[in-house]
Amino acid sequence: MSDVAKPKNPEDDWKIWLVVNPATWLMPYLFMVLGIAIAVHVVVFSVGLGW
Amino acid sequence: MADQSLSGLTEQQAKEFHEQFKVTYTAFVGLAALAHLFVIAANPWW
Repeated sequence: MSDVAKPKNPEDDWKIWLVVNPATWLMPYLFMVLGIAIAVHVVVFSVGLGW
Repeated sequence: MADQSLSGLTEQQAKEFHEQFKVTYTAFVGLAALAHLFVIAANPWW
């Protein structure tokens, strides 16, 4: 296993798109980010730190 | 079929998409940082 080429980041970051197809996964990811943002806001407001 | 990537994108497409992804992601982080600075200015949470 050790002779596998180790990635060098951030230069090799772009290679993620050789594994994950953004045409399929970009929108689901963005909706997950939106979900997390909404969840964080709900928690922040529920602990009374909202305005 | 052997030399195709797992995602089906070519190296050139992946690099091209990544350039746009970096721009959009940087803007997202910038805006989030700005929003956090406003909250800190208005109502620090510590």
